Amino acid sequence: MIKKISLILLLLFILFVFITSMSSFSDIYNNAGKIFFSQNGYTDTGSVNLVTGIYLDYRLFDSLFEAAILLIAVSGVMLISEHTIDEKNATFMIDKQKTPELFVTFSRILYPIMLLFGIYVIVNGHLSPGGGFQGGAIVATAILILYYIDIRKTVDVHRVLTIEKFLFLGLVVISSLSFFTRGELFTNFIPLDANIEYKAIFLTSMNILIGAKVALGLVAIFTAFLKEGR
Amino acid sequence: MAKFIPILFIFVPIISAVIIYLIKNKAITNIVFLTQIILIFLLGYYAYELSRDPSISIIILGGWNEKFAISLRNDTLSLLFVGLTIFMWTMVLFYTFKTNSKYHKYLFFLMFLEGIFLAFLQTNDLFNLFVFLELITVLITILLSFKKNGPSLKAAIYYLLLNTLGAMFFLIGIIILYYTYGSINMTYLAENISTHAQKPIIKFAYMMMIAGASVKAALFPLYTWLPRAHGVAYTSLSALLSGLLVKGGLYLFIRVHIYMFGYQTYQMTEVLFYIGAITALVGVVLALSQKDLKQVLAHHTISQVGIMMMGLSYGYGLSYYGGLFHLVNHALFKSLLFLCAGLIIYEYKTKKIYAIRGVFKSMPLTSIFLIIGMLAISGAPFFNGYVSKTLVKYSFKDVPLKMFLFTLINIGTVTSFLKFSQILFGDRVKLEKRKDSKQFISIITIGLLCIVIGLFYKELGMFIFNIDFSYVKLFDFRAWLDYLIYIAIGYVLYKYYISKDYKPIRQIREYQITFETANYLFIFYIAFLSLMMYYIL
Amino acid sequence: MNPILSFIVILIGIYGLAISKNIIKSVFCITIVEAGTILLFLNFGAYEGGLIPILTSLGLDVVDPLPQALMITTIVIGSTITSLALMLCIKIFHHYGSIEWKVIFKGDK
Repeated sequence: MIKKISLILLLLFILFVFITSMSSFSDIYNNAGKIFFSQNGYTDTGSVNLVTGIYLDYRLFDSLFEAAILLIAVSGVMLISEHTIDEKNATFMIDKQKTPELFVTFSRILYPIMLLFGIYVIVNGHLSPGGGFQGGAIVATAILILYYIDIRKTVDVHRVLTIEKFLFLGLVVISSLSFFTRGELFTNFIPLDANIEYKAIFLTSMNILIGAKVALGLVAIFTAFLKEGR
Repeated sequence: MAKFIPILFIFVPIISAVIIYLIKNKAITNIVFLTQIILIFLLGYYAYELSRDPSISIIILGGWNEKFAISLRNDTLSLLFVGLTIFMWTMVLFYTFKTNSKYHKYLFFLMFLEGIFLAFLQTNDLFNLFVFLELITVLITILLSFKKNGPSLKAAIYYLLLNTLGAMFFLIGIIILYYTYGSINMTYLAENISTHAQKPIIKFAYMMMIAGASVKAALFPLYTWLPRAHGVAYTSLSALLSGLLVKGGLYLFIRVHIYMFGYQTYQMTEVLFYIGAITALVGVVLALSQKDLKQVLAHHTISQVGIMMMGLSYGYGLSYYGGLFHLVNHALFKSLLFLCAGLIIYEYKTKKIYAIRGVFKSMPLTSIFLIIGMLAISGAPFFNGYVSKTLVKYSFKDVPLKMFLFTLINIGTVTSFLKFSQILFGDRVKLEKRKDSKQFISIITIGLLCIVIGLFYKELGMFIFNIDFSYVKLFDFRAWLDYLIYIAIGYVLYKYYISKDYKPIRQIREYQITFETANYLFIFYIAFLSLMMYYIL
Repeated sequence: MNPILSFIVILIGIYGLAISKNIIKSVFCITIVEAGTILLFLNFGAYEGGLIPILTSLGLDVVDPLPQALMITTIVIGSTITSLALMLCIKIFHHYGSIEWKVIFKGDK
């Protein structure tokens, strides 16, 4: 009891410090980043959606390592979920499922609609809200809805992991192509003063690769949880 | 063309890691040695080019305006760390190289970690630093849980949750800095931070970033993940964890406290010094009570990090360079001790100190280097520990309280290594020898490097830092006398108190800090720092 | 006002971490802390009348797009950490039969 009271007092003290510091915040707020991106973003990167322009052109280096962390997490989850002999309490959910008929019917209707919507969000990442990461999550959900239709039809996870590593190598190669055409690394390989429609080639191909990678990664993680190493 | 070598530093290990995973052939795993040779060659070439032409040290990725794009930057500090990283990884790969099929994945994660750590050291952008921090956390969690037995999983989840919390606090600091200055480039912030530095919200950001760096560096209330992690890791991973990845937290601390904010902006030197001193004392007291070979070394890491913090908190002068030098030396002799301990544990098949006897007669080569490591860590003259510990003492040699604390820490270190050296005495034990001679290459190299640095520190100090280290004298009579007095006091303390294993010592050893208590201590640490910064200073 | 509410969410998450006795609850609290951090970042820059950063013509008053790009990365990182932690929880349950912090760490010395 005394521990909880002292904990709440400490947290209230930190909150008090934060509130008193925030009072001086509105007069030192700086707009320089916003002005730079809204003036130069469209002409530099060729994408109407400024957020896509930032994570695929100004900060491409970040997005490469975000794809890398997905790669590592999927490999790690697969590694940990393999079974060893000395486990005493393992029970498997996969033997006990019987999906109701209603779910199966609706999943059959929803699956193509969700897949199409996911692909639309990926490909149109530079013209409307969306992009590789968001669309990849939607495509992953669409593939996972197949588990409602037939629970025995699972994905071969080792092949998925291999394809994912090739996709990561592909991402690194396309990002470094700009070294040969423009002399700078990790940016769009179309030259800076070309027509704006040509710059969208780079953006669309990067979005498709990232979307495929994210979708495969999430499907692999969910399958590892479902099978628990079987 | 030499400008783009830092990118190669990052991607050569990563690509070789992916190749090892994809081609499941035993002969391909020799590619790790090729990678290390390429990296050493590139480092030499880059250092030569940099000394001729200092303008190639910054790469702006994409060629955009410097304030809004990611850039990579190399200066003396980061090149020193890069060289240390490549050297340590080469030694560890010699030690642990086996071409079983199970070890494919271990080498994959290990080489990926090398690439990510090299990127962490060179980046100039704060959010990039956060992404690499989280990547290192995830990689070490997977490597810790590699054995997949019960204790490994417990240590892994404890490590993951605590370090993620620390990284989230680091992110809050980054948020506040972005909205105040409009940019998250470290060079731009280092030049312009003094315009708003005394506003309360910037002090809050500083405090959050220091709290996040302290979790990674295992300072006083937040060190509890380190002993658990060392108890379950493979020996090669223990050597890397203690030798290099804890120093990553100190590297973050140097960048935030000294490079970006300036060490005299907030007058926090005294507070940080005492946090380091308490860390060192707690580490030594806990190390005296342990019975397991690797846990003694793990608790010693905590106390040596405290000594480094005592030196680094000054920010300038010989104490700062002493702390930095101790960082390099500690990586060398701690990994030497861990590798020798790994060999001993493999032969004797037990980890308890009282069950291992007669190492000196059964494994002579290993025990010689073990003695070199023990002399180096306790600060004997002619070895490198002596140089760095004397340098750290420079700025406070006139303050009696601080000298008293430092002397206590040294006595504790010597005592616990006297206890550790009990494994050397005794009769010869019959063992089956391991048939891997590559392991001895790494032990011999590190041991010889300890002695070389201990003798030639003046030339090294001039070459790397341009600082004169002649405050440290090799044949100083008082220093020799101090060391012998420490050994005498330590021997008395050990014989009559510690070896009897009285009840307080057993209670200290068995006291475990649970996860909830660790979080409670974290909140207490933040409240303490904010009290210091806002109301007392 | 909005940044202060986001900070309160972060503090609730930390409070939960310090008193939860179950591993799954601790993982949930880390998710709450991470969600609070993302809200904090976005709330500092939002203001009344700001438009979304999709330019249909130049010169309009849009919200800062950089925080949103950074937060996409943070959300992905948070989800990977949650999945890794939950897989470790499942394996701990298989080994020890319970997921309370006290029971798991009882046998340690």
